[in-house]
Amino acid sequence: MTMTNPNDDMLDDLFAQARAQPPGSPSDDLIARVLADAAGVQPAPSAHVISQPGLWSRIMDTIGGWPALGGLAAATVAGIWVGVAPPTPVSDLTAHLMGDVVTVDLFSATLLLDTEALGDG
Amino acid sequence: MTSSPDPFADASDAAVLVAFANGDGQAARVLTTRLLPQVLAQATRLLANPSEAEDVAQDAMMRLWKFAPEWRQDEAQISTWLYRVVANLCTDRLRKRRSVALDQVAEPLDDSPSAATRMQVQARMRALSDAMAALPDRQAQAVSLRHLEGLSNPEIAQIMDISVRSVESLTARGKRALAEVMEGRKAELGYDDDEPE
Repeated sequence: MTMTNPNDDMLDDLFAQARAQPPGSPSDDLIARVLADAAGVQPAPSAHVISQPGLWSRIMDTIGGWPALGGLAAATVAGIWVGVAPPTPVSDLTAHLMGDVVTVDLFSATLLLDTEALGDG
Repeated sequence: MTSSPDPFADASDAAVLVAFANGDGQAARVLTTRLLPQVLAQATRLLANPSEAEDVAQDAMMRLWKFAPEWRQDEAQISTWLYRVVANLCTDRLRKRRSVALDQVAEPLDDSPSAATRMQVQARMRALSDAMAALPDRQAQAVSLRHLEGLSNPEIAQIMDISVRSVESLTARGKRALAEVMEGRKAELGYDDDEPE
């Protein structure tokens, strides 16, 4: 069993009147105050500082950074090493492609001591 | 295909708020246009005082601006969050009213029927607001969201972060208490014993 409060009708009518009130548009003054508040606390746009990179930075960027630089250094050392002391397979390949290896002894002791040959000239 | 002049035309409120937090120059105006009318209307219905309602609306929007950098898009909707903020701010105001004389409505300035009717409506709204001030805060919030804003119980539960059952309990007790407070003012507000105008 439910009891009906005699004031329910009045309350329901009051609620209905409140909901029926035309919502007033915010005044220009209120909008200005709200926007001023917003401007006062809004974070600044994140600033992107553009600085001119230095020569070293540009070189590094060009070649691809530290990993690429490490690879370049390793390849350079390997090239020098192969030139100074070529492994046998490399020597054989060179001989095959370019002919036999010819060793020229610019300071041959035999030639230097062959004074006769010089004198005959 | 035409391009819209409003860069936020299709953006959600939350997305515009994120833009505001990132310093976008138009976001504040877009959010103000979208949200301020509802905020002001809620405060006006509960407080029945334009000046106080404007102050609450400004305060609620200020809290939104300040909260913007921390807003996560997966949180509650901004409208839900604002309902809660406005309800809290309004009950703060109502609490301060409790020590003030209830009937402070100005007299009508002219005798025309329309003016008299308008003033009677204003007097009723102010009386209802003052009666809400007599309720505990949570009851006043639940009753206002249910009966003044017309929200459903699940919506109110989400706004107040309580169960639907608690909402039902709060609104029932609040309405009962409200009826008791208003009982002595029926004749004064133009209500006959049996038929509301």
